[in-house]
Amino acid sequence: MFYRLSGIHHTSYVSDSRLYKIPADRNLALFFLALGLAAPFLVGSLYLNSYMLPWLVWTAAALGLNLVTGWAGQLHLGYAAVMAVGAYSAVHAARYGLPWEFALLIGGISASVIGSLFAFAALRVKGLYLALTTLAMQFVMDWVLTHSPAISGGSHASLQAPTFALLGQRITSDTGLYYVAFGWCLLVTIFMLNLRRTGLGRALVAVREKDYAAAILGVNSFYYKIVAFATSSFIGGVSGAILVATFFFLAAPEQFSVAVSIQVLAMVIVGGLGSIIGTYFGVALILLVPGVVNGLVAEGAGALGLQLNVESLAHIPNAVYGAIIIIILMIEPLGLGKLYSNIRDYLRVWPFDQFKK
Amino acid sequence: MTIFNRVTAAVLAAALGLAIQTAAAQDKEPIRFGLCFDLSKSYTFISPQVAQAAQDLAKYTNDDGGIEGHPVEIIVRDHGNEPQRGVECYEQLKREGVFIFNFLSTPVTNAALPRAMKDGNIVMQSFVGRGDAVDGDVFKWIFPVGPTYWQQAANDVAFIKDQLGGDLSEAKIGFIYLDYPFGQEPIEILKTLSEEEGFELKLYPVPLPGSDQASAWTQIRRDKPDYMISWILAGGHVVASKEMKRNGFPIDRYLSVNWLNEVDIKNIGADAAKGILRGTNVAGGQEVPLVKTMLETLYAKGEGSGPESLVRDVYYNTGLAIYATGFEAARIAIEKHGWPLNAERMKEGYESIENFDGNGVMSPITVTAKDHGGGGKTRVEQWDGSTWVPLTDWSADYTDVVWEVIKESSSKFTVE
Repeated sequence: MFYRLSGIHHTSYVSDSRLYKIPADRNLALFFLALGLAAPFLVGSLYLNSYMLPWLVWTAAALGLNLVTGWAGQLHLGYAAVMAVGAYSAVHAARYGLPWEFALLIGGISASVIGSLFAFAALRVKGLYLALTTLAMQFVMDWVLTHSPAISGGSHASLQAPTFALLGQRITSDTGLYYVAFGWCLLVTIFMLNLRRTGLGRALVAVREKDYAAAILGVNSFYYKIVAFATSSFIGGVSGAILVATFFFLAAPEQFSVAVSIQVLAMVIVGGLGSIIGTYFGVALILLVPGVVNGLVAEGAGALGLQLNVESLAHIPNAVYGAIIIIILMIEPLGLGKLYSNIRDYLRVWPFDQFKK
Repeated sequence: MTIFNRVTAAVLAAALGLAIQTAAAQDKEPIRFGLCFDLSKSYTFISPQVAQAAQDLAKYTNDDGGIEGHPVEIIVRDHGNEPQRGVECYEQLKREGVFIFNFLSTPVTNAALPRAMKDGNIVMQSFVGRGDAVDGDVFKWIFPVGPTYWQQAANDVAFIKDQLGGDLSEAKIGFIYLDYPFGQEPIEILKTLSEEEGFELKLYPVPLPGSDQASAWTQIRRDKPDYMISWILAGGHVVASKEMKRNGFPIDRYLSVNWLNEVDIKNIGADAAKGILRGTNVAGGQEVPLVKTMLETLYAKGEGSGPESLVRDVYYNTGLAIYATGFEAARIAIEKHGWPLNAERMKEGYESIENFDGNGVMSPITVTAKDHGGGGKTRVEQWDGSTWVPLTDWSADYTDVVWEVIKESSSKFTVE
């Protein structure tokens, strides 16, 4: 009824390899694209600059992590370190006087180089051992940042980013910065959507499913794992740089600490491994819900006239937030993305779902 | 009219008068202080006490008619020590008309600082964030009233010099610190002073969170420093006290940064901690007039903003010191320019604070347009088994050396 189809029939390879096999999906995507473009005119500046903008930048970053964890199946606990490399090298390049376009590129490339160099060593082990080795990368990066004032910007370890500019235009307005984040997130999303259709994407999935089975099929799993790490590090590096350039305006080690690494991983897992729409949901849940629940609890307590002390007011939202995550993962262990596709699959044939069987 | 009626009338009139008076304070527009605190993650060892002190002080002030007739409103929000949520809190409160902020977390202050500087909003930044923000020429809107860690370390050295008979050329001073920016900050100043005064400086880094100090203290036992200066937090002090006992280092030669409170003392053991030293800019204990007032008025009536146990904590005094200064700045600003209060006037109010000590709760401070720190005076207090006993008077030493470091660091900051 909503999707107006009577099954999916492909009569050519071109139609089989289309990005959106169901027109309704494409229309939905176009609708959200239009919504994203119109957001500055629809939502207030508070929501634009403190919810939408970080949400989009973190989504781009989480998509990068999803590439290596969701697609290639390699657990990565040091993603924030990669973002830090990108952020710091881009900010240093921009401070040196390079235009931001190049600075972002330098950030991405240096993150990519360091990320894959590390992967080169780390990929000799698999599974949980790999996870721990990537965690080591996080700690190495933390140590480097807190012990080298030349990188981190003096004894206070905070490095100011010059005003963001693209094509010689200084971007300072909320709307402008939002479009930068939106543009980057859109680029990454388009890349990830198309990854599924490429040989690289299929190779990554083969490696994820069973790496020696992939090797038997002629897929060099080591090579593809390195490619996955390099690509995801590039995305992470640029996202880190954009996060600093458009949101924090300065880089500090705590913005890329081990807690952040875990948080990004949580975004990917709660969202759904290998799911793009799920990543959007996951980031919204992990990044934005704590603040929202906090506001709701404060309002609720105020409305009910409860005299809670400040500490309880801070801890109740945390408990609620934890419960939300547990409930979601209990209902659907494959994450919010799977939850969405369950609903979609149901609605696709509704009300004639007897035909599905 | 019977006597009974007269009394009733008088009581009624008095009650009415009181009501009108309070109503007058409520009618006027409030002065809003935004407290975006970490009440759930890393800073929970201090933020509840400071928030409670701010609320108590506001309640007490409002009962007294407010600041120049305007009530004080304290808005507390949790940001969980996440820079992103701190920025969100800042942006939200900013739109609700708050222009005086406090984040009480170094990462969040760092994240919000560029925005506050750009928007021209006051940030109360005592004890957190970058130390060079005391330079009012560069950081126009930031008010880290209180000593910087550099100044604290310098004052500690001055105290040790005094204790060792005014000569440090033969002395050996150890510095044990958490190996991240908070702990590393004083190293530079200690090195400079070691060259100037000729004492030998020994550095003992310990990894976060300070629960593993065994190797550092074995080294200290070998080196036998005359004094140990400690830049360790909370539970780290407890570990250090055990290691001191094990390695035979006298606890009365252990001089802590201001982050050592009654909870830590209790965990060490009130008797075992006897003699431990603490450099501080707020007076500890409940004998401080302002704390006494709170206990006798609000808490005696059961109207405190939280549990009384939190009042018996030096971080409560710290909170009172921070907000007494803020309220004083607001008072001066309104007195000078009248209502409405805005960030510009509040800044002027701050910069006009002269010799203010919040009725003895802290060192007398004089904030100027150049020095937003208020002079950086501290004193050394010693735990005598039941309370803090001041050993010295409020003073700030080696200020020229400290300001050299501040200027050198702040000159790298630019506002675009």
